[in-house]
Amino acid sequence: MGVMRIGHASLKVMDMGAAVKHYTEVLGMKVTMEDKAGNVYLKCWDEWDRYSLILTPSDQAGMNHVAYKCEKDSDLDDFKKRIEAHGIKVAELAEGALPATGRMLQFKLPSGQEMRLFAQKEYVGTEVGTTNPDPWPDNITGAGAHWVDHCLLMCELNPETGVNTVADNVAFFKDVLDFHLVEQVLVGPGGAIQAAAFLACTNKPHDIAFVGAPTSGLHHVSFFLDSWHDVLKAADVMAKKKVKIDVAPTRHGITRGETIYFFDPSGNRNETFAGLGYLSMRDRPVTTWTEDKLWSGIFYHTGEATPSFTDVYT
Amino acid sequence: MFDFRPKVQVTIDQTGESYPCAIGESLLQGMLRLGRKGIPVGCVNGGCGVCKVKILAGSTETLGPVSRAHVTAEEEGQGYTLACRVGPSCELRLEVAGKMSKPFFKGYDAQATPPATIK
Repeated sequence: MGVMRIGHASLKVMDMGAAVKHYTEVLGMKVTMEDKAGNVYLKCWDEWDRYSLILTPSDQAGMNHVAYKCEKDSDLDDFKKRIEAHGIKVAELAEGALPATGRMLQFKLPSGQEMRLFAQKEYVGTEVGTTNPDPWPDNITGAGAHWVDHCLLMCELNPETGVNTVADNVAFFKDVLDFHLVEQVLVGPGGAIQAAAFLACTNKPHDIAFVGAPTSGLHHVSFFLDSWHDVLKAADVMAKKKVKIDVAPTRHGITRGETIYFFDPSGNRNETFAGLGYLSMRDRPVTTWTEDKLWSGIFYHTGEATPSFTDVYT
Repeated sequence: MFDFRPKVQVTIDQTGESYPCAIGESLLQGMLRLGRKGIPVGCVNGGCGVCKVKILAGSTETLGPVSRAHVTAEEEGQGYTLACRVGPSCELRLEVAGKMSKPFFKGYDAQATPPATIK
């Protein structure tokens, strides 16, 4: 079946102690592993693989790579051929290049960020297990995020020079990785410029998103919550923990998601995201947002610009 | 109002505006607390770089790490830093060096373009 879902994100942090405190006490993740290089691995309570987030010590913020999990090991051989046929160089990393993880394909997206594909990661189980499970465990802390849901990458877009790596990424994800386009933002004369795109490999509204920007980078890593009430409670947790909230609880027009945006202690943006507003079946017609309704797509209630949301990223 | 912490005056060179910043809080937090504007506000955690400033006069104390992607060691030597990561140790004057850029709607948001045709 190919790519199943996001597997993990690897983030650079400038203060490991503060970062671990944030991802455990605010998001509710658990540390599952540390390596000799000082990298810390974490997972959410409802995830079954060993980790979904890697924190690496650095002198700056940002993303090292994002990895997606394939169903079968043989998918990696198929994708290696298809990615190379698309004109992108692929390196193969042996099993163990990341602990508890099988072999990986490593390559650069058209927008420049590093992406990896893997098929094997150590199974450790969810906090509630698989036999007669309770709906939630008793040891939830903070927001109690269920899983790492998706990421949004800022992608170089310069209409004057004709560079649009949003569109380049969309072509790559559709043609090579078999994702489907779910929603998009079209701007410019006649709506000729695909300025943002939301794609899925599952039936969720998105598994990855791309937004045009002067330079490429990480906009956010998103964590799934069950309901609007969980989003409100997550904001309470953030207030208690003095987390810098970028956008207080609201709803997106795009994806219909209920959301909060906030920053980790190194300035990497996080989202808590609830409400799978619809199932993005592969034959669902693509939703398009036009330039004049762009901000309604982003923040549905106000429909007004929040410049920090589009201009601030790592 | 009702904030009796010792404060010093921080002046933004480009606008001539100034605000009282408490000792121990960041230059950016001091501005935010008063609902004032002048220094661009981003992640407030040292990572995004939009609150980059140059200290022209006075001295600061470091409150946390500053991303090397936005302030190089050389720039740091010239007085550049991020306003969210330093607090004032005395009255000071700064110049705003960071900026918000308009990303994907640059050059288009002001145009009265008709809505895109959905194919």
